[in-house]
Amino acid sequence: MITIAIAKGRMQDDALTLLARAGLRISEEALASRRLALVDESGNYRFIFVKPADVPVYVEHGIADCGVVGRDILLESEADLLLPLDLGIARCRIVVAAAEPEVMQRDFGMLRVATKYAKVAGDHFGARGIPVEIIALSGSVELAPALGLADLIVDLVETGRTLKDNGLSIVEVITESTGRLVVNRASYQLKAPAVTTLLNALEATINGATRT
Amino acid sequence: MHLSRIPAGMRYYVGSEARLRRAVEDAAMSVFDGWSYEEVITPTVDYYALFEHGMGQEEAQRGFCFSDNDGRMLALRPDVTSSVARAAATLLAERPRPLRLCYAASVFKQQQQSHAEWRRESTQLGCELIGAAVIAADLEMLAIAAEILSRLGLQESYCITINSVEIFNGIAAHLDLDEPSREQMRRLIDTRESAELQRFLTSYRTSAEERGLFARLTQLTGKREILNEARAVITNPRSVAALNALEALWSVIESVGLQDTFEIDLGDVSSLDYYTGLSFKVFVRGAGSRVGRGGRYDSLTANFGRAEPAVGFVLDLDALTEVVGREEFSLSGNNGREVNVLSGQDIAATLAAAQNKRENDERVRIEFGQ
Repeated sequence: MITIAIAKGRMQDDALTLLARAGLRISEEALASRRLALVDESGNYRFIFVKPADVPVYVEHGIADCGVVGRDILLESEADLLLPLDLGIARCRIVVAAAEPEVMQRDFGMLRVATKYAKVAGDHFGARGIPVEIIALSGSVELAPALGLADLIVDLVETGRTLKDNGLSIVEVITESTGRLVVNRASYQLKAPAVTTLLNALEATINGATRT
Repeated sequence: MHLSRIPAGMRYYVGSEARLRRAVEDAAMSVFDGWSYEEVITPTVDYYALFEHGMGQEEAQRGFCFSDNDGRMLALRPDVTSSVARAAATLLAERPRPLRLCYAASVFKQQQQSHAEWRRESTQLGCELIGAAVIAADLEMLAIAAEILSRLGLQESYCITINSVEIFNGIAAHLDLDEPSREQMRRLIDTRESAELQRFLTSYRTSAEERGLFARLTQLTGKREILNEARAVITNPRSVAALNALEALWSVIESVGLQDTFEIDLGDVSSLDYYTGLSFKVFVRGAGSRVGRGGRYDSLTANFGRAEPAVGFVLDLDALTEVVGREEFSLSGNNGREVNVLSGQDIAATLAAAQNKRENDERVRIEFGQ
């Protein structure tokens, strides 16, 4: 049996829809329950539902063989995983946003950056030689500039609505993020036939091939 | 700071687990001995520069470093191979070749590559075969690794993947990649990002069909058919020579009946700067990450003034102990032996009785009165 860790939240519904189209179906009854571990109708796959940041942890330790999680989480976690498939779901961007975009050109004082993505933000500014103070938050990052905690934020943006509502605009896009299928390095070898079957089924689904 | 606290990544082994760990170590060392490998014990502390040259800067930097009285940088050994290679080129330079050396030694890393490898002290069971370039030497490594795993009762649950780094090197040279592009291609192959790899290759003179086949090749593992598929897309002479060598190796693996537990994995490109030919990885069911790795490193000993071919591998004793322990596989040890409990007011008589039993190698335990 293959265990797949699914990121709860915004990724979950898209992931389950895609998996169902690829033939990995969970009964309505099981889905309606509040259990955090479910087996699909074929009995070949077990799903576990965990917080997004925990998906790379479960997969890296081999407790889950595979996982479905956003690239934003993977960039931040630096987990040593295989990334064979871009699922193309939950597409969004990691951006730098500010209330006053000209703050980037300011020539005095350190820029303060509030973010849930401390590593991504640090790498982004570090690579360009811009010294910044990273302020790590765990949510509602959009509040930070308005309240004077930070000059900029680095955050995940889907439609841009939340930014706008909080008086922020995008200064630059750091990278795109979509849902990825990740695989444990040992499982990839030790369960090669099953992992390959899953990869092929998902790839065919993504490429729009019809399945019977 | 509590004295009861243990630093991250360090641990104790006690009782049956310590005994099992010792038994796993003994099993491996006896296999090495059976193949005529002599034990070598290397310094625990050595110059940082040794490891920097031996493992490459990136790996060496994961170690614990501190400075000597004269200001030179020292390190707790993050690997053993560097030290063995230096000894081969210096201390053991006059010994007849090939040199066959083995060890069971702890190595220390301040920061591991994977979060799943939480240990900062681990013990490597390793062997090195220095001074032989022949394919038979490569095969000897694979056979020894397979034998150790079988002796541990893991014959049904291990998998060894093999590759030659020269296949990648040939392609990188053929595409005339500069260093950053080469590293980018390596990383895309290593993490099996097939779609991104195909996108990367579009800027080089390749056809869509070639790109698709190549991406598929590096994503899949398999048996001999992988080599046949590879020949259809990979035609540069350097890579073809490597494919030929891998095929010769595979033929022997088949003829000794090991093909079920071996896989060809052209996507294994994780240690390109270290290995020069064969590279292999060992996986065992029940362990979330690899439990061993090895390969040919023909350019390492040149760092120490004497260039000669070499091949070797290491297995992770701690990871193996964990798997073997979980499988409830029992290796011989003190576990099953009866113990003679001795006690009495006359301490001289009790001790004499104990010594008497010990002469017959019986197990004793003295109980002290209150």
